[in-house]
Amino acid sequence: MTDNRFDAVVIGAGHNGLTAAATLAQQGKSVCVLERADRIGGMSRSADLGGATLPEMAHLLYNLNPGVAKSLGLKIASRALPTVALCPAQQHVVIQGKTAQYANGDAHPDAAAYAALYQRLKTFAALLGQLAEGAPPALAGGMLNAKTLQEMMALGKLGLGLKRLGKVEMREFLRVILSNAYDLILDELSDGPLAGALAADAVRGAYAGPRSPGTVFSLMYRLGNGGDVTLPIGGMGAVAAAFADAATKQGVQIRTDVDIASLVIANDRVQGVLLSDGTTIHADAVLSSAGAMQTMQIAGIAHFDVEATRRMRHLRNKGTTAKVNLVLRNLPAFTGLTREQTAGRLLVAPSAVAVERAFNPAKYGGISKSPLIEAVIPTLTDTTLAPDGTHILSAIVSYVPHGLEGGWTDAARADLLDRVVQTLEAYAPGIGELITHSQVLSPADIETMTGAPGGHWHHAEMGIDQILTVRPANLMARYAFGVGGLYLCGASAHPGGDVMGAAGRNAAMQVIKDGVLR
Amino acid sequence: MAKHDTYDAIVAGAGHNGLTTACYLAKAGLKTLVVEKNDWIGGAAVSRSLIDGWTYSNCSYVCSLLRREIVRDLELPRFGLQVIPYEGGATFTPEGDYFAYMSDHDALRRELARHSPRDADAYDRFSQAVIRQCRFIRPFLLRNAPDPTSLRPRDLSELLFLVKQAHGLGAKELGETLRFWTMSIGDFLDSYFESDLVKAHIAGAGIIGTGLGVYSPGTAYVLLHHYMGDVDGAIGAWGFARGGMGAISNALGAAFEEAGGEIIKGAGVDQFLVRNGKVTGVALENGDEYHAPIVASNMDVKRTFLQHTDRAALPSAFTKAVERFKIRGSSAKLNIALDRLPSFPAAPKGATFLRGDMHCSTTLNELERAYDDWKDGRWSQDPYFDMLIPSQIDPTMAPPGKHMMTVFVQYAPYDLEVDGVRSGENWNDATRKAMADCVLDKIAVACPDIRERVVHAEVRTPWDIEREVGLTEGNIFQGELTFDQLLFNRPVPGYAQYDTPIRGMYIVGSSAHPGGGVMAAPGANAAREILRNIGKGKSMPDFAA
Ligand SMILES: Cc1cc2nc3c(=O)[nH]c(=O)nc-3n(C[C@H](O)[C@H](O)[C@H](O)COP(=O)(O)OP(=O)(O)OC[C@H]3O[C@@H](n4cnc5c(N)ncnc54)[C@H](O)[C@@H]3O)c2cc1C
Ligand SMILES: Cc1cc2nc3c(=O)[nH]c(=O)nc-3n(C[C@H](O)[C@H](O)[C@H](O)COP(=O)(O)OP(=O)(O)OC[C@H]3O[C@@H](n4cnc5c(N)ncnc54)[C@H](O)[C@@H]3O)c2cc1C
Repeated sequence: MTDNRFDAVVIGAGHNGLTAAATLAQQGKSVCVLERADRIGGMSRSADLGGATLPEMAHLLYNLNPGVAKSLGLKIASRALPTVALCPAQQHVVIQGKTAQYANGDAHPDAAAYAALYQRLKTFAALLGQLAEGAPPALAGGMLNAKTLQEMMALGKLGLGLKRLGKVEMREFLRVILSNAYDLILDELSDGPLAGALAADAVRGAYAGPRSPGTVFSLMYRLGNGGDVTLPIGGMGAVAAAFADAATKQGVQIRTDVDIASLVIANDRVQGVLLSDGTTIHADAVLSSAGAMQTMQIAGIAHFDVEATRRMRHLRNKGTTAKVNLVLRNLPAFTGLTREQTAGRLLVAPSAVAVERAFNPAKYGGISKSPLIEAVIPTLTDTTLAPDGTHILSAIVSYVPHGLEGGWTDAARADLLDRVVQTLEAYAPGIGELITHSQVLSPADIETMTGAPGGHWHHAEMGIDQILTVRPANLMARYAFGVGGLYLCGASAHPGGDVMGAAGRNAAMQVIKDGVLR
Repeated sequence: MAKHDTYDAIVAGAGHNGLTTACYLAKAGLKTLVVEKNDWIGGAAVSRSLIDGWTYSNCSYVCSLLRREIVRDLELPRFGLQVIPYEGGATFTPEGDYFAYMSDHDALRRELARHSPRDADAYDRFSQAVIRQCRFIRPFLLRNAPDPTSLRPRDLSELLFLVKQAHGLGAKELGETLRFWTMSIGDFLDSYFESDLVKAHIAGAGIIGTGLGVYSPGTAYVLLHHYMGDVDGAIGAWGFARGGMGAISNALGAAFEEAGGEIIKGAGVDQFLVRNGKVTGVALENGDEYHAPIVASNMDVKRTFLQHTDRAALPSAFTKAVERFKIRGSSAKLNIALDRLPSFPAAPKGATFLRGDMHCSTTLNELERAYDDWKDGRWSQDPYFDMLIPSQIDPTMAPPGKHMMTVFVQYAPYDLEVDGVRSGENWNDATRKAMADCVLDKIAVACPDIRERVVHAEVRTPWDIEREVGLTEGNIFQGELTFDQLLFNRPVPGYAQYDTPIRGMYIVGSSAHPGGGVMAAPGANAAREILRNIGKGKSMPDFAA
């Protein structure tokens, strides 16, 4: 084996690319990961700002696939965080798993209803979660032949699990599964921060308001691996590093700062990758964690039929999340929260109605004056992240359009920063005064930095029309991607995004199963 | 003195579905009574004259969904039903242009190409896709929705039918079908067309009557509720019932009476009578009581159980499910008497598309914004409307030389917001007029002289529709057509086969599968179910066979 000959090349060193590489290497394959950026990690990387280590984009773990973590032997230290649903009237609600109470310890009137709803969603989500453990069921040759029936096993298992729930719960599952989060939540809870927190969780990263059908599914998706929110110690970069370690331990080569010119394809089969410096890296399989359309472009559109390119052109992938990272000279004082509560996952989503309303302007290229925020101050849990006494506030801002009217100028970024700080001021008066450094990443910036189409959290919208057997598109859902030996292995493949690892692992297993590698 | 009489079956409500059920029960030899609260029959399929010489189709206004099998089987033409097809339609722009839809394929192609040559090419692919989905779903309309949690042979065989139909599609089509059913009409159209105008023209059908926007998933499917009428049988694709939509109900009423049935009008049901878990009859508001072992409610499921049934007779889980059944109203209507045909300066003289459905919404975003207003309790400031002048084709609707215009308005809330308070009570003459003005202003885009033409106008808000027709919250489909309320979920999971927790009592209106529209399918399906349960299943044709 020469330096530039591998069994497989993986495009992109995000956690999914790294998982795919490590999984193949575990099967005895030689693998090289090619990353365009100067760093590994993709959306789960850390960055330095004013001497602090920031979670540049993703900041919390809640969906890491335990099977992946186990098989890769990932060593990730993390600390569970409560969720604090901030209330404009300072009646904040602290949520921990299925319990909810006011921050001052008083009982929340909807506590029992919330517990029941959460428990039910978690049960349903666990059932659905099984579907993430392999390729989605194929529909090849219709539904009634033996091969497909075998493929339908996963679905069969789901059906069995449903049966086991009993008739009442099974009916409830079938009723809500394609429904909207807004109705589901408000059928059980009165509207306010608790309902708002659930509604916001249902749509974070999505181009959809909680009233959009399909948002119950996205809420369940979050809970598919238990849903408990944890903060990785050492920052998100440490998570990416753990994935990279697992890969390199298996002999995977990881190269950063690599510019891929195209794939080398002969006789409709992948032969390797051509870099823009002229180097060819030979491989029998290429797994790409770049976006689906981007992967198609790297391979060359001419290798795909018209229908496939049409499908790719019309993938829904309008990013809606921005990231605002702040370095603070001091700990901000959130009114009505203890230090421990301040260390939690802080949500600004005052009601389900407010969440829906915040989505409205985003549809027309605007940003809500009351943006939805998921913020965390990781330095309260992990003091190593910033110099003594200083703090980081990492904020995910929802419903920030990729296609902002007027474009993403510096002024637009400053305006977004201002809106976020103004919004936080209502809960932590004086927080603006504490800012020493700030970073604002619009969806367009995220696209530039990671290549993710639209800067989309999941690389492609997780609508019901783009999941499972039709993710990212009909007839392209089982990782194999048009050209022999080419596979998708990132968030745009089944089951989708989040720091999870399932897409990377499943894609690698599919490569093995398809016998592409000798 | 209060009357007490006994029947084999009683139908509460003379909407077209109630009448359909009643027809089939009577034809099977059951002594059947229909009680209707209004002094007229038809529910939302009604023709009324509010000003001398003019007839309004007050609620529903076009006929396409009505199942042909039922029309034929009940011989409705013999009872005066005549559906006159109309062709085409148009969307007018403020710039003085328009997009016209024409049923002539070549003409349509030229018109599409005028707006976008690419769209002209895309149209065939688009209509094939829609027709394929219509063909897929149509066989399900006159069948029961299988209960997926049940192991009864009938449910299993219905499920198998579904699997077989799906299998017949093949892998690719199955994937497309899954996507189609879960997509938004906006995304669906975006994937075919580039012209905003073309997209806006088609998109309206996906949101009519819904609580969703053009970009809400699930609206592509609603399009079918408007297209599946008779897409490929040329006649009756879209039509006016001669004499207004009431002609359908009147034909059904006449067929019912010919079969020996009896209708009492002005007889609102106060209570469904229940004893030991079994229905025994109805008590009317006027004190009369009628008894029967079978009672079918044509009212929506909320009205039936939350207003006219003793809660103690219902399991609490069922009541809760009914309470959470979504039935938000989103549509208003203007029925207008015109002194003559208004002018359409943009249209060529004698353009046939003026006899079809006309609109003035020109982009998908405009439609989506109209939805945003509604969510917050306002009528759309820039509303979508579906406007027709049926008197051009059906002269019975207006005096000679004069015309009748029907304007269906999307969106208008049931609980109008005024000063931070959302309530149906906020609809009064002033707010009604303000909404109508807003609609007329936009109609003026197409016909600038519209205001001078108006002789009389009836403005119907969701609040009014609820109070007159009894459609709760004014929802035109007796319940929203979202996944959680379709098929085996409609109206209540576990009670999707027209049955209820009360023995002998049935839901036969649009709240039941397959849902709203002047379709008569719920009524016919329910009748079959009722007859089957009393061992008379054979006395009615099985349209599904
Ligand atoms: C602002 C934001 C916050 C988020 N927060 C969370 C969170 O808190 N928790 C959570 O679980 N999820 C979060 N997510 C989602 C999650 O981060 C992603 O879904 C997940 O990280 C995707 O992983 P991936 O490996 O599939 O792709 P990515 O992480 O996007 O990695 C793709 C990699 O491929 C590289 N690449 C792309 N094109 C090329 C090319 N042509 N050649 C070479 N390399 C290429 C990119 O540089 C990148 O490194 C967030 C996402 C965003 C945008
Ligand atoms: C404004 C509007 C426009 C529409 N446009 C169209 C269209 O163009 N094309 C189309 O196909 N569909 C259209 N629809 C939908 C369609 O009209 C309805 O879905 C359909 O007519 C409902 O029929 P139904 O028999 O199920 O119920 P309904 O028509 O609602 O019948 C229920 C009956 O029960 C009666 N009732 C209520 N309470 C009592 C009581 N306590 N006692 C006795 N009787 C009672 C009512 O008076 C009514 O007669 C429209 C609806 C509306 C409101």
